[in-house]
Amino acid sequence: MPALIVIDRSGVEHSLEAEPGHTVMETIRDAGFDDLLALCGGCCSCATCHVHVDPRFAGLLSAIGADESDLLDSSDHRDERSRLSCQLRVTPELSGLRVAIAAED
Amino acid sequence: MQPLVERDYFTDYEILKDPYAFFEALREHGPIYQPPGRDYVVVTGFEETLEVLRNHDAFSAIIGLQGAAAPLPFTPHGHDITDQVEAHRQEFIGGNFVVNLDDTPHTNMRALINTLFTPSRLKANESYIRELSDQMVREAVANGGVEMIGTIATPFVTLVIADLLGVPQEDRRLFMDTIAKAPPPGNLDGQNEIAGENHPFVIMGSYFAGYIHDRRANPRGDILSELANATYPDGTKPELQDVVELGMFMFGAGQDTSAKLLGNAMKFIVTQPGLQDQLRADPKLIPAFLEEVLRIEGSTKQTARLARKDTRIGDVAIPAGTKVLVALSAANRDPARWSNPNELEIDRPKIKEHVAFGRGKHVCAGAPLARVEVRVILEKFFEHTARIALDASKHPNGVADLLYEPSFIIRGLAEMSLELSPAPGFSGRSDAPSAIPRAAAPVASGAVLSTRETKLGELLDDSAGRAVLDKHFPGMASDPQVAMAKGMTLRAMQAFAPAQFTDAALDAIDAELARLASAAVH
Repeated sequence: MPALIVIDRSGVEHSLEAEPGHTVMETIRDAGFDDLLALCGGCCSCATCHVHVDPRFAGLLSAIGADESDLLDSSDHRDERSRLSCQLRVTPELSGLRVAIAAED
Repeated sequence: MQPLVERDYFTDYEILKDPYAFFEALREHGPIYQPPGRDYVVVTGFEETLEVLRNHDAFSAIIGLQGAAAPLPFTPHGHDITDQVEAHRQEFIGGNFVVNLDDTPHTNMRALINTLFTPSRLKANESYIRELSDQMVREAVANGGVEMIGTIATPFVTLVIADLLGVPQEDRRLFMDTIAKAPPPGNLDGQNEIAGENHPFVIMGSYFAGYIHDRRANPRGDILSELANATYPDGTKPELQDVVELGMFMFGAGQDTSAKLLGNAMKFIVTQPGLQDQLRADPKLIPAFLEEVLRIEGSTKQTARLARKDTRIGDVAIPAGTKVLVALSAANRDPARWSNPNELEIDRPKIKEHVAFGRGKHVCAGAPLARVEVRVILEKFFEHTARIALDASKHPNGVADLLYEPSFIIRGLAEMSLELSPAPGFSGRSDAPSAIPRAAAPVASGAVLSTRETKLGELLDDSAGRAVLDKHFPGMASDPQVAMAKGMTLRAMQAFAPAQFTDAALDAIDAELARLASAAVH
């Protein structure tokens, strides 16, 4: 199964197994991370699953959508590595993907 | 008098009036408590609620619709009953509905739903929501008042989702009437089976089956086409029946909660001194007000989970097989999480972390829609009124007279009559073409009936059409099961039962129906 590396808000790194087809948000949430609120449950309607993606994987990600971009604008912590993890679907090519849970807004 | 904690949440009409007092009485015994004589535990703590809702591994959602009091269809044994739950899934009420699903089947179904209520889609729909709200509220103000739940709230939310999904105009009236007649989910009298020819899920299911079948054959760029042709994340195509059940569920379950949220919000508007002036003067406060209504009186009182593995909630051991009532409405008033929990206070910090919509993988997917539609119609209420008051002739004792839907799930008013004083310069009823559908016209006599265009219900209403059907499928016209397919054409039914509805038989029916029409013309 593809691996997903998650850096929590205290900076601790965790390695998770990710099911292809699930989203990065679902993978992190279902592993029990309290840091990731994911309030809307993956409807691309809040910005509480905000992560920063390791730039080495930038080229492998799906393009950022208009809704996602608008929502990220509501965060004070947006940068060029910002994504909503509910919009990132796990694929075998993304194995080893590293994401850091963004600071709370 | 019997102590509150000993009374039965699932049947007691006094608790129905004030579930908050009941849950507070339970909270005195701790955030996780098994009431005397009950075979389920009740979670009233906020942190403990999050713990249960986020622990998808140990807790199954299978008892969401039937609730924590209903008996399990099997006797659990062992420390992990996951396989037993799955073996008996069909025997639970609504076992296959997304709200009750677990694990990958849930994730798959949820992936289909997650694309429906995105901000851009809701934005595109907002002009319809605004127009419909404007018409309904103007009509009510022009009449000087309204019974808001039945006349506005319920039809409003039905028409909004019908428009969003792309339900054809001519069917919307039927959807409105069907939903208006339906009991709320979680009925206190125990009538919660989703079956029978008149159950709204069954009636709407037949229409959805027709739409999905049609959109698979002729996609046309609406949400129904998208749903009909969607694939799961693993690339497989959902069974027709799964998509139909999803459509039914969105209509059946999402309706009461949104409609009742409007009623609950209105109750605060007419009772809290100064509130309506504040919101009328500054409508930008409405979203924050709604979040606070969701916290203090959201329209879902509770949900339920079944421990499928030995686990813990807080420091309490929970064996596999334990039924858990998760009191969302109590978590939202937990003094450990909220200061002045029983007071409505606009602009609480981190208010969106309330659990009115749940949390975790089952968090309400319709929340973004509910927030938009209730905000927009409240904006219209404030725009067109100078004052909104409870109608004292209908409710002489004020809010104490209000009745609540007899449901252990839903918190919402059954009726609320309002007096509406027009805003200065109120211009009366809308001149725009009505957004509210009238009753469907019967099929004109002499119109050509066919297996492709005519719904089974219309065919049965036409005496000659009924005779043709009876000739080719003897007994079918009087079969009670057929009611479940009234919203479908015969060609759509063919997809479900190809052996029974052969091309040859349907072609023969079409030929006879065409002869009928030409005979009528000549």
